Amino acid sequence: MINNKANILIVDDEKGLRLGTKRLLEEEGYDVATAENGEEGIKLGTSKEFDVAVIDLKMPDIDGLDVLKEIKNVHPNTVCFIATAYASYDTAILATRIGAYGYIPKPFTPEEFCYQIEQGIKQRKLILDSERLKKEREENLFELASEKSRLNAIIKSINEGVLVINKNNEVVYYNYSALKFLNLPDLKIGENITGKLPDKICAIIQKIFSKEKILLKSYTVQTEVGANNELIVEAACTPVPQPDGTLAGVVITLGNITEFKKIEIIKSQFVSMVAHELKAPLAAIQGFLNIILNVSLNIDKEKEKDYLKRSVSRLKSLTDLVNDLLDISRMEIKTKQRELEDVMLADVVNSTLQFLELEAKKKNLTIEKQFEGNIPSIKADLNEITRMVTNLLSNACKYNVENGKIIISISVLQNYLQLVVKDTGVGLKAEEKTKLFSEFYRAKNERTRGISGTGLGLSIVKRIVDSYHGSINVESEYGVGTSFTIKLPINQN
Amino acid sequence: MALIAIIDDDLDILDASGLVLKSKGHDVITATNPNDGYKIVVEKKPNLIILDVMMDEPDDGFYLAQKFRKEGIKIPILMYTSVSKAIGLDFDKSEMVPVDDFVEKPISPEELVEKVDNLLHQKEVK
Repeated sequence: MINNKANILIVDDEKGLRLGTKRLLEEEGYDVATAENGEEGIKLGTSKEFDVAVIDLKMPDIDGLDVLKEIKNVHPNTVCFIATAYASYDTAILATRIGAYGYIPKPFTPEEFCYQIEQGIKQRKLILDSERLKKEREENLFELASEKSRLNAIIKSINEGVLVINKNNEVVYYNYSALKFLNLPDLKIGENITGKLPDKICAIIQKIFSKEKILLKSYTVQTEVGANNELIVEAACTPVPQPDGTLAGVVITLGNITEFKKIEIIKSQFVSMVAHELKAPLAAIQGFLNIILNVSLNIDKEKEKDYLKRSVSRLKSLTDLVNDLLDISRMEIKTKQRELEDVMLADVVNSTLQFLELEAKKKNLTIEKQFEGNIPSIKADLNEITRMVTNLLSNACKYNVENGKIIISISVLQNYLQLVVKDTGVGLKAEEKTKLFSEFYRAKNERTRGISGTGLGLSIVKRIVDSYHGSINVESEYGVGTSFTIKLPINQN
Repeated sequence: MALIAIIDDDLDILDASGLVLKSKGHDVITATNPNDGYKIVVEKKPNLIILDVMMDEPDDGFYLAQKFRKEGIKIPILMYTSVSKAIGLDFDKSEMVPVDDFVEKPISPEELVEKVDNLLHQKEVK
């Protein structure tokens, strides 16, 4: 109903009254249905929800109160009147108790009747309004509850640890990550947390609690957690204010920064190694130049020349080192766009060998090439492949023995191009092999003494090979020789 | 004059330092790794050891110095460092690092001579 016409049901066995009231109400603008006995009244009144029903108390088949009961049972919001000529105080109370809204004594004037119906409709509107409000409130409550559980689910499942404590150091809330990052088997809500948190975090919390004024800022601390301090955690502690501005507690968020710390250590080790490697030749050169310039030392011409030569050689190694470092940083930041072209590995090896000819002759090295026929080209950056081959072959020369041998073979192995560079050089000890590809690692033993290098050559080779999704392996025997095997995927497209 | 052992894996540094010290009348023995360095110190018992921190491993010199002290070798040690600042380790005369003085590479001949003279003189005072 509401904006439309109100539906009214008249249940009365008296035909004249039925028709009369029907006509009257229809004139007032209502939709009216009538039932001529109790049975029909129940049938109509329960099959459809009427706004208002007027039920005669005394009917031959079923008592009006029973009709009222039945209707109210199905449609509790239908406003029902009991109409009767036998009005008594008791029946009125009974009817009201069953759920009647009002009592219309017969006979009634049209005005009286209409007035009662109007009151009934007002009541009906009130009922419907309150029903609507109730429903809305229930919906809101449901939303609120599901919002809360959703928030809970989100906080429980995030990677960061969340722990909330109140001013009495009692646990108010936590998620599973918090347990993990604090290395605690369990926490109970309401449990006192003192003594369970790392000291550094406790200190910050106490600092926040001891402040008279709440500063809404986070205090961050990094701390080691766990039996062997294997976990490094960053904790951000933030005060939580009450609505009135006083301190309610502290929320602690915990993040795992173990990997960052590892990278930081690697980075600072790298920096210190670079600094050492750069400074060593500088110190040597400066030492020599100081001696040459120092009149009181008075060194002879031949010694002076020797020192100058050695200074130049140290300068060259310094330049090599800087170039290697630049190569590594270029590879890391990938600023340089790769220029892919068809590269024939055999051609690269041959042209590299020309550069190394002089060095190989000095040591009287024999170079043996075993190139398979029909070797396909690979799509690659010529500069990178040249760099890779140069570093490998110059190592094979540098670490070789007098009258030694270098065997270079190129072959196809399924989908891979295989390059093997084998030398008869100083070889590697088992423990040296594992460190070989790391930056600045140089195999240092009595046989490598006096061989200069930046310690970056093989690490650059590995970076290049990795960037083409290839692999590099080393086999070596100390004092016998070393063999490097590189596999690069053949990408014909 | 004194017998001075220089232990450093950089041959050029050995040469340059050796030349400066020899010019002041000292005798110089050298080693290029911790093992040889230990040997020459034990065998020749020099008056002073000049020791490089970073050889095969970044802290070889450090461990060698500790080994000397543990074995009761009280010869003064002058430690050569090149990257103490870069590593963030500010070496200091302390019990942790049982050496008598530090010097940052590169070092001028005058400075080297002065440091060496100081240490040798100290020993005499003791």
